[in-house]
Amino acid sequence: MTKVKICGLQELEHVRAASTADAAGFVFAPSRRRISIEQAAALAAELPESVEKIGVFVNAGLDEVLEAVQKVPLSMVQLHGDETDDFIRSIPVKVVQAFSVRDIEDVKKLERSIADFVLVDAPGIDFRGGSGRTFDWSLLGGASIDPERLIVAGGLDAVNVGQAINSLAPYMVDVSSGVETEGNKDADKIKIFIKTVKGDSMQQTTGTVKETGFFGRFGGQFVPETLMKAVKELEAAYTEAKDDADFQADYHKYLKEYVGREQPLTYAARLTEAWGGPKVYLKREDLNHTGAHKINNAIGQALLAIRMGKRKIVAETGAGQHGVATATICALLDLECVVFMGEEDIRRQQLNVFRMKLLGAKVESVTKGSATLKDAVNEALRYWVTNVEDTHYLIGSALGPHPFPTMVRDFQSVIGRETREQILDKEGRLPDVILACVGGGSNAIGMFHPFVEDESVRLIGVEAAGEGVDTARHAATLTKGTEGVLHGAYMKLLQDENGQVQEAHSISAGLDYPGVGPEHVHLEDIGRVEYKAVTDEEALASVIKLSRLEGIIPALESAHAVAEAEKTAAAMGSDEILIICVSGRGDKDMATYAEKLEGLA
Amino acid sequence: MKRLENLKDSGDKAFVAYIMAGDGGLDKLRGQVEYLQATGVTAIEIGIPFSDPVADGPVIEEAGNRALAEGVTLNKVLLEMKNWDFDLKIPLIVMTYLNPVIRYGAERFAESCREAGVSAVIIPDLPFEHQQLVEPYLKKTGITLIQLVTLTTTENRLEDILGAAEGFVYAVTVTGITGVRDELTQEVKEFMKTVRSKSPVPVYAGFGISRLEHIELLREDVDGFIVGSAIVKAFHDNKIENIEPLIHAVTQRNPV
Ligand SMILES: Cc1ncc(COP(=O)(O)O)c(C=O)c1O
Repeated sequence: MTKVKICGLQELEHVRAASTADAAGFVFAPSRRRISIEQAAALAAELPESVEKIGVFVNAGLDEVLEAVQKVPLSMVQLHGDETDDFIRSIPVKVVQAFSVRDIEDVKKLERSIADFVLVDAPGIDFRGGSGRTFDWSLLGGASIDPERLIVAGGLDAVNVGQAINSLAPYMVDVSSGVETEGNKDADKIKIFIKTVKGDSMQQTTGTVKETGFFGRFGGQFVPETLMKAVKELEAAYTEAKDDADFQADYHKYLKEYVGREQPLTYAARLTEAWGGPKVYLKREDLNHTGAHKINNAIGQALLAIRMGKRKIVAETGAGQHGVATATICALLDLECVVFMGEEDIRRQQLNVFRMKLLGAKVESVTKGSATLKDAVNEALRYWVTNVEDTHYLIGSALGPHPFPTMVRDFQSVIGRETREQILDKEGRLPDVILACVGGGSNAIGMFHPFVEDESVRLIGVEAAGEGVDTARHAATLTKGTEGVLHGAYMKLLQDENGQVQEAHSISAGLDYPGVGPEHVHLEDIGRVEYKAVTDEEALASVIKLSRLEGIIPALESAHAVAEAEKTAAAMGSDEILIICVSGRGDKDMATYAEKLEGLA
Repeated sequence: MKRLENLKDSGDKAFVAYIMAGDGGLDKLRGQVEYLQATGVTAIEIGIPFSDPVADGPVIEEAGNRALAEGVTLNKVLLEMKNWDFDLKIPLIVMTYLNPVIRYGAERFAESCREAGVSAVIIPDLPFEHQQLVEPYLKKTGITLIQLVTLTTTENRLEDILGAAEGFVYAVTVTGITGVRDELTQEVKEFMKTVRSKSPVPVYAGFGISRLEHIELLREDVDGFIVGSAIVKAFHDNKIENIEPLIHAVTQRNPV
């Protein structure tokens, strides 16, 4: 597959957009795109190791080139001047030699090059013919240049690059002005160019994406072989249960009689007035037994486990909400329950730890790593690998290997289905905007799923920006993450350039996870759902607002959705409708509120 | 990897030693490999540290964390190996989780492995159905992707996986994670017999092998053993010589 080089990068934003390219070019020659070695080093540090860092020079001194190679560091050097073969030989990394090709003499020069790669720079080419200068590709057609050494540049953009690749099958295409708007690089154009050339990055893997389990190219079953049997059994059991009327009746009976559904869609009169924009409605998952949406999923999976003959349950928990929901349902259905929870979260969420113990669950403290949700999932997975024959892993969000993301979404979709009926009933039409917070993404996907086909409904997922998305302390996976595999799924992750997963940070323990459910990554990828990030501080301010205006103390997680709703509402009119998913109530966060909001007048 | 099949034909048993690259510093790796080669191991598995090693028990996880703290990365390990100039007579196998490979680029990973003289790769969280992500690139560079089978691998699946196996097949001896074990069950013995009767390539038992009794129990039913945690621990405790009897029990037909 043809590789992509984005050349003339100067700003961080564009370097990030180029992180899925194969090479990034930094120009050291006099040019409006010129940068210093120090600037290039800072930009290069933001790129994954897999991206080649190429320095572009025109008749520079060897010292300057060597200094840049060492300090940036550069993995390749590209020369546009009259550099000699000796000069090329003195460069310790791979060399690209560039040639402007106008006639057969230029082709001869290019054929004689001793460089690792030759770059054909054909300025002003117009692949579509017609206006502008057309380059005579037949000149190259006769040249004895190995396509594996050939890089094509000059006048390329997302529209004509396909034709360049078809006619020359080069090793790499190089673009600069073709991804600019008014002389500046354009992050969107960079991404589109890369996508155009590479197609779906997982398209290279067609054939792996067998049947189900993928949302676009995200998801899958990336688990050790020991778990494959359990994952496949679960897939089969769920497929069958899903269409079984008795199973569904049982599940809905528990939702009604035990959880207390359906939950109201409350019109928030004072919030509507305060924001001065759309009519605001709140979906009241805070009223569920145990205080959050998590129980919708826990009941569904526990019933499925029993159906599969498994009476032991292992779960992970961050905030403790999912742990409490699981412990609750295990008490009700007489199942054995082990919950892994990070030591740090145990400290933050004392009350929920006690609730789980009171309900008869065994709470295992996880001291490894960051001692938060990610590490709790690791331990739960290890426990599952070891006890897989009689234990069900009751995962708490729309994460993990297939079928978990689909199954959790289905069990949470009761939120969106009810909301849809309720708003049609109250307003006679669909809402304009729906917001929900995103940790792993279960309340959000449950809310969004029944509306995904309704193009008029704007869907906004809200992640935790912690202390800010430009600090190292946030949990904004969709905003800042990159693609990778963790806990069984191909998704987006907070990770370093070596593929080591990083710690996430949020004041809200339930959003503190460095990955995000694969379906959300897909919905972002196809542009159906927007994802925004809200800081700790903004979320806390919204806790106060919702408490005082509506008499509803929200969970910290849910407060993120409220904070973003306020921003969204500011640009909406009074004839519009906005719905917020209040995923849980604030009881579990009272200690944090007491500490952070102390002195509140 | 062909060599491993020849070994099988000769009736000798293989001993594959696992080490965590960079535990104690990356400059230790070379010496460890030279030592193990001199001790007579058949092949060496070089582990790449990962932040979330869910298939591993505490011994390997902690070793990985120590290596990460030393700044060890996939790239650095492969570069280090590429620079080795001593006489290497045994195959080197890289064991890594999938995410560092994806981040590094599967194609580039295959290329760098080739340059580093790697013969085979093991990726424990890359199941059979998703191997297209990496395998075609490895194949192009002549590197084998080792298949894993476990006690929970169903019969049809076992046939599929063994059908694709090259080099050797890694038969996991426990339903669980890596680590030092006291006992192995009789069930494991039956499992090894089944796998061996169907496998076109040598069958090596791994996960939890740490004692002479384990070797004795399975000796007749496998073609070799993979020992990880016990070696990682011995290196960390500076007591690697204590492992020699285990190695010799496998590699020397009549250990003295
Ligand atoms: C009240 C509440 N809302 C939201 C979340 C985030 O999870 P998810 O994104 O799966 O809905 C949590 C997680 O603990 C929670 O407790």
